[in-house]
Amino acid sequence: MYRYDDIDREMLADRVAEFRDQCGRRLAGEMTEDQFKPLRLMNGLYLQLHAYMLRIAIPYGSLNAAQLRKLAQVSRTYDRGYGHFTTRTNLQLHWIKLKDAPDILDELAGVGLHAIQTSGNCIRNLTADPHAGATADEVDDPRIWAEAIRQWSTFHPEFSFLPRKFKIAVTASPKDRGAIRVYDIGLRLHRDDEGALNFEVLVGGGLGRLPHLGPVIRERLPVRHLLSYLQAILRVYNRHGRRDNIHKARIKILVASLGATEFARQVEEEWSLTDKEAVDLPATELARIRAGFAPAGFETLPPLSATFESARAADPALARFARRNVLPHKHPGYALVNISLKSIGETPGDCSAEQMDVVADLAERYSMNEARVTYEQNLLLPHVKLDDVPAVHAALVDAGLATANIALISDIIACPGLDYCALANARAIPIAQDIARRFADPALAETVGELKIKISGCINACGHHHVGHIGILGVDKKGEEFYQLSLGGSAEDDAALGQVLGPALSADRVAPAIDQLVEVYLRERREGERFIDTFRRAGLAPFKEAVYAQAH
Amino acid sequence: MKALTANRLTDGEVVFWTGADWSERFIQAAVFEESDVAEGAEAHAKSQFTLVVDPYLIEVAPVGGGLAPVSYRERVRAMGPTNKPDHGKQAVGGDDIAVLAGAHGAARSKGRVDLIRRK
Repeated sequence: MYRYDDIDREMLADRVAEFRDQCGRRLAGEMTEDQFKPLRLMNGLYLQLHAYMLRIAIPYGSLNAAQLRKLAQVSRTYDRGYGHFTTRTNLQLHWIKLKDAPDILDELAGVGLHAIQTSGNCIRNLTADPHAGATADEVDDPRIWAEAIRQWSTFHPEFSFLPRKFKIAVTASPKDRGAIRVYDIGLRLHRDDEGALNFEVLVGGGLGRLPHLGPVIRERLPVRHLLSYLQAILRVYNRHGRRDNIHKARIKILVASLGATEFARQVEEEWSLTDKEAVDLPATELARIRAGFAPAGFETLPPLSATFESARAADPALARFARRNVLPHKHPGYALVNISLKSIGETPGDCSAEQMDVVADLAERYSMNEARVTYEQNLLLPHVKLDDVPAVHAALVDAGLATANIALISDIIACPGLDYCALANARAIPIAQDIARRFADPALAETVGELKIKISGCINACGHHHVGHIGILGVDKKGEEFYQLSLGGSAEDDAALGQVLGPALSADRVAPAIDQLVEVYLRERREGERFIDTFRRAGLAPFKEAVYAQAH
Repeated sequence: MKALTANRLTDGEVVFWTGADWSERFIQAAVFEESDVAEGAEAHAKSQFTLVVDPYLIEVAPVGGGLAPVSYRERVRAMGPTNKPDHGKQAVGGDDIAVLAGAHGAARSKGRVDLIRRK
């Protein structure tokens, strides 16, 4: 895994010292809140409903054991002993005190973690395919490129005050596990007919008030020109993005209003004027970064493990876990092990300090010192030997982390909602808990099959509701919590925005409505169809009828 | 009727103006019948910027056994997150928390509206 160098470490130390001084001046009354707020936000510190919230960046969702242990220790020492993993693969701590924030950042810097660019109108923390380096279908490790962008974009003076926040996701597989079509820029690595690496560049995706799927503006960008091309995109956006209206300031609005073809033309024109050599990553630097992600120590193993096969034949719980949470690895004899943070009845994405320590130990002992965070608010051990899967499973069972529900109906994305977030209209967590409890029976959940429910507590869509197979949006009806359901969304290669089912429902009607939708699906589905396939074939009508028939 | 709330600068804790000081408990909040008195208190609170952040007025109304914020958002602030009953002010318990927990009614919170306006 890539390690920060002296320059990175010095930069982090300087940043912590600067923020410590700023906090001291605020507490001493030498700064007003209006002066201080942008400074604390630049360090990931928000003020939420009950306390300050610290959003810690986890670049491209990769963590080593020392980092995960540090997150556990910080959660235990300065918060309430847990953290919340988000759809941006960050970790949020909800009970932070301003006076502790500089000490926390100091501790995080010790393991190369920080909260820089987790807020503000800048290029935010990068996300990448959580299967990077482990999946057979990738053409390169996308984290190499994400790390290059991270270095280029951190404190980038020209792009620190964009019209609005800016998010970039990188994948290197035909299968989209990074939701790249709903990012400001989505980058997909692929090889052309000659075997050369290129990026497919998508620009102008996004969720929120006005959701858009990002169109492709360039199908083949030679990888060596990544940074100069990103600069050209950002320059066009910086020049023409709407600064007069916060609701129209994201790049998706600019791309939609110009049209993808015209936007692409302007980018190409800007790019043609760019001194590419001055911006693009030198080959030596790329090689240095690539070395940081070099695969280390995979053994030559048989593709099947007798230990694993006999253990799962003897243990139905392990068999279910293997079916749902364990995926094939590009190296024979290894597997990716998903760790669900969606225990039935618990808060989606929450992880206790003790659980973080357990995952850190497992990562160190069984997964080449690596763990990942997924945008679906789960964790993952990317490099586990099949021989070791039974031991990993047993440890996860002991830690309450062995829920075998990846991609099932109880594997729900939910933002913190009105239980924590100052911007929320309605709660998201209790809705997720209600639904998960209804489908707590693992056999029932498996019968229903792949069904992605995504819940947001407000139109900002941190819970990705637009791209849920079933999306749930909390709305404020004269101060009361109501929920609008939408069907047919997807954040993957078949990306689509959901269609609104009908009038919003009261909180107590949401989980029963999900039951009704599932009943329609089970009744209507044909062989091999997932929920979303049945919806695409049968349309909204039967689902709408089931939910609203009883309302009259 | 109105009460005045804010978050404490040092730790973000939800606090209520008692008429003389800031308290963590809603039950100790001063209740303003007159809007000009309430607005005077809000203006004074805004000058206390080394103590509190973003003070604003909330609607309160009688419920069984006492008073409670009318807005659901403000009741969550006065109690704590509903997914973790052992966190926030509700963890301490008490009659005043029971009153808040039993309250119904709905209104938009000025806190959220102000936040969106300022963004």
